[in-house]
Amino acid sequence: MRKALGVPSVMVMALVLALGVAACGSSNGGQAKGGSITISQTSQPDALDPALSYVVEALEPIWVVYTPLLTYRHAEGAAGSEVIPGLATDLPRISNGDKTYTLTLRKGLKYSDGTPVKASDFEHSIKRVLNLESPGSFYFEGIKGASAYLSGGDPDADIPGIQTNDKTGEITINLTAPDASFTNVLAMTFAGLVPGDTPFENMTQDPPPGVGAYMITKSVPNREFVLEKNPRFAAAEIPDVPEAKIKTITTKITPNLIQQTEDVIDNRLDYMQDPPAADLKAEVIERFGPDGTEEQRYEEFSTASTYFFFLNNEIPPFDDPKVREAVNIGLDKTALARLYAGGLAPGCSFLPPGMPGYSEAIDIEDCPWGDPNQQPDVERAKQLIREAGAEGAEVTVWGDTVDPTPKITQAYADQLNQLGFNAEPKIIDGAVYFPTVGNQKTEAQTGFASWYTDFPHPLGFSILVDGATIGPTNNTNLGYIDDKHINDELAALSEEPNLTEVTGRWEELNDYIVDGAYMLPFGHRKLATFVSDEINFDECTVVSPVYQNDYSSFCLKSAE
Amino acid sequence: MTASRDEEILGSPGTEFSLDAPAELAHDPAERPGLGPWRLTARRLRRNKMALAFGVVFIALVAACLAAPLWADNVAHTSAEENHLSDTIVLDGKTTNVVDLLGKPIGPTWGGEFFLGADGNGRDIMVRLLYGGRNSLLVGISAALGTILMGLVLGLLAGYSRGPVDSVISRAMDVLWAFPVILLGVAIGTVLAVQGLELGPLTLESDSLLIPILIISVIYIPYLARPVRGQVLAIREREFIEAARAQGMGSARIVFTEVLPNVASTLVVFLPLMIANAILLEAALSFLGAGIQPPNPSWGTMIAEGVERIISAPHLAIVPGAMLVLTVLSLNVFGEGVRDALDPRARVRIEH
Repeated sequence: MRKALGVPSVMVMALVLALGVAACGSSNGGQAKGGSITISQTSQPDALDPALSYVVEALEPIWVVYTPLLTYRHAEGAAGSEVIPGLATDLPRISNGDKTYTLTLRKGLKYSDGTPVKASDFEHSIKRVLNLESPGSFYFEGIKGASAYLSGGDPDADIPGIQTNDKTGEITINLTAPDASFTNVLAMTFAGLVPGDTPFENMTQDPPPGVGAYMITKSVPNREFVLEKNPRFAAAEIPDVPEAKIKTITTKITPNLIQQTEDVIDNRLDYMQDPPAADLKAEVIERFGPDGTEEQRYEEFSTASTYFFFLNNEIPPFDDPKVREAVNIGLDKTALARLYAGGLAPGCSFLPPGMPGYSEAIDIEDCPWGDPNQQPDVERAKQLIREAGAEGAEVTVWGDTVDPTPKITQAYADQLNQLGFNAEPKIIDGAVYFPTVGNQKTEAQTGFASWYTDFPHPLGFSILVDGATIGPTNNTNLGYIDDKHINDELAALSEEPNLTEVTGRWEELNDYIVDGAYMLPFGHRKLATFVSDEINFDECTVVSPVYQNDYSSFCLKSAE
Repeated sequence: MTASRDEEILGSPGTEFSLDAPAELAHDPAERPGLGPWRLTARRLRRNKMALAFGVVFIALVAACLAAPLWADNVAHTSAEENHLSDTIVLDGKTTNVVDLLGKPIGPTWGGEFFLGADGNGRDIMVRLLYGGRNSLLVGISAALGTILMGLVLGLLAGYSRGPVDSVISRAMDVLWAFPVILLGVAIGTVLAVQGLELGPLTLESDSLLIPILIISVIYIPYLARPVRGQVLAIREREFIEAARAQGMGSARIVFTEVLPNVASTLVVFLPLMIANAILLEAALSFLGAGIQPPNPSWGTMIAEGVERIISAPHLAIVPGAMLVLTVLSLNVFGEGVRDALDPRARVRIEH
């Protein structure tokens, strides 16, 4: 459920960074092509295989190695949320009651190893996603025949819903039902093309060739992987998908975050994928922040994420709307923000900043439960809890062991106690947390959760509140929210192909969810870009709202 | 444990009272003939000023930890679990955040509230240190007593019965011994921290202190049972046991009246050392998240939380670390003193 900071496909919205890709000139001599950099990640990516990669540690590199038929513009802010043609010549033609998508592959494309790209490679790539039990398989099960293909167990079987023509390059995809987010699904890296003979196995140790600015030339799990500039990519001439500027990017897996931060400070590392260690954050901001004493090389950006506590709507005490309102009123969100070392913007909204349907008003000043940046009205919350007869109710607060969640869980439990509950935190290993609280038998009353959408479409958040998704196990709707209006509206909106036409309805639905206190949102995560003095920070650090830091934008101040 | 553990702990060589001690220890001219063994021990211990000093330090630590509620209620005015994330405190006439906006907690105030500063959740370090000490000591002492009880029973049973009973118990001890202590502790602790423990009528919640007590007690059983077994094997062949048998005494009576008094000194020697070991293991397990569960404080969890702020707030890890060192050091030095006093020639050791 929670996907991060090492979270899948984080969508980063353009609230903060005003780096100005178009900014002209540089006091440091402008961009320089070539050279090598060394960067770090705290943990090994889940996979270096487009069919399987899902966490942000993997998606940052995978995005610039495996271009799908559609992709996102390499830009910041709203522009970076725009779906553009990738390996396809144009955006899809949608027909047959929004159930058929037709695309055409660009001509003359070659993988990084020189193999020509064929239209049928798309079907093979999707088969790999389905076959390998990828976390992304869910998104492609709406393709006609995909479910039967999965249950059939034959990897080489045909998926009837995908028709390809290697001669013309035409690719036709038929869905079983309209899916308003399917264009975004086609732009996910899961749909990144790989050659038709790529085995049906996790290729992390020997990643297959792709069509992208970079190619992975070395992969030693838990130690390092190396990206080198793809010499064949320039010939592809894909508009708005830039070439690599740096020749070699070596990624080291370095678990010690403090060590990483010190290394970037001292220019031994050129970029760290995680934000700086909380312990050194003050120094980093003071020295390298926008108002720092030295040349800027650090900046924070907001992400399209919502951090919240789920409230089980089915069992006491949170089955009572009054109790849910009380905890929304009484939660001190600014206190929790301190546990993220300032890396959390307090808020009330279910949908995150930058997402269509998000409203800053409901998130901050018009939040029905009080301004999240101010102290809460604890007395009113206590009063409501007394009126609901929930005073002294025993509450188990669930949380996982991934820092800083244990501290968040304890702080939340303590706040519940201040409001009159008898709350105890229960912190369990991160590997079993979501299967445990997502199991209906656990009857988890409340606990920590966060959500980063996989693409810039509010449907990516719908599974948190959609009653239709509730099942006995692996629930993402952890609060077991089953409201008829929400369910009906989600069903209707999921069939609306034009998001801009229904943004108002998404905003109304967001207001409805916040007003109903179905869950307890407390903010939206902020992450950061922090690079060495060698990187041209002003011109070469583009933050994509979908995939965070864009490796293809990195360049050095001077060529080596 | 090092490679020498077999010689030092396992079986008879470790606990047998060998004759290779220095002559001056074996024949202390100050020892008056006719004194009982316990009075002789007390007299020897009184002469070991270092051991006595550390014994006093340990007692002082225990007393301070027992006084935790007094400090919390009357001086710090907070509890060990209460968060003060958004609170402020006036220091030198200036209002200061207990935890600043970047999450850095306040350092020692050397006053009543936040005497040793606050942790990342704005909790009073001094209060948590004292309550954490109570938990660590409670777990350490209870686990050591549990180990001694279970280890003694198994060691007596195996050593005196010999034969199949001995084989079964010894092999079980071998299996338990084969696991690295921390690994076994983390494995059991992680499982029990998720689902608690249900054994027939016995139900333990996942955050119960009895869980780390149980884990540590069980893990250390071979460390006691094996030396006791070795000692019993030797004792049961001695003439006074033969004499007891000849008088018609039953096995149970022989064990309780003849064998047990002869292994009592070993138990007394082991107790402080086992407590020290148990406290260390508890801290290690808590550090790794498999021991005492939050929000219950323990020195191990405090160190783990403090490590994240080791540069900007080093006191978070140093203070509980220092308490741990002082406690274990005092127990070890005192325990060594007790061992020397009981029998200067004994070579019983517990290695960490």
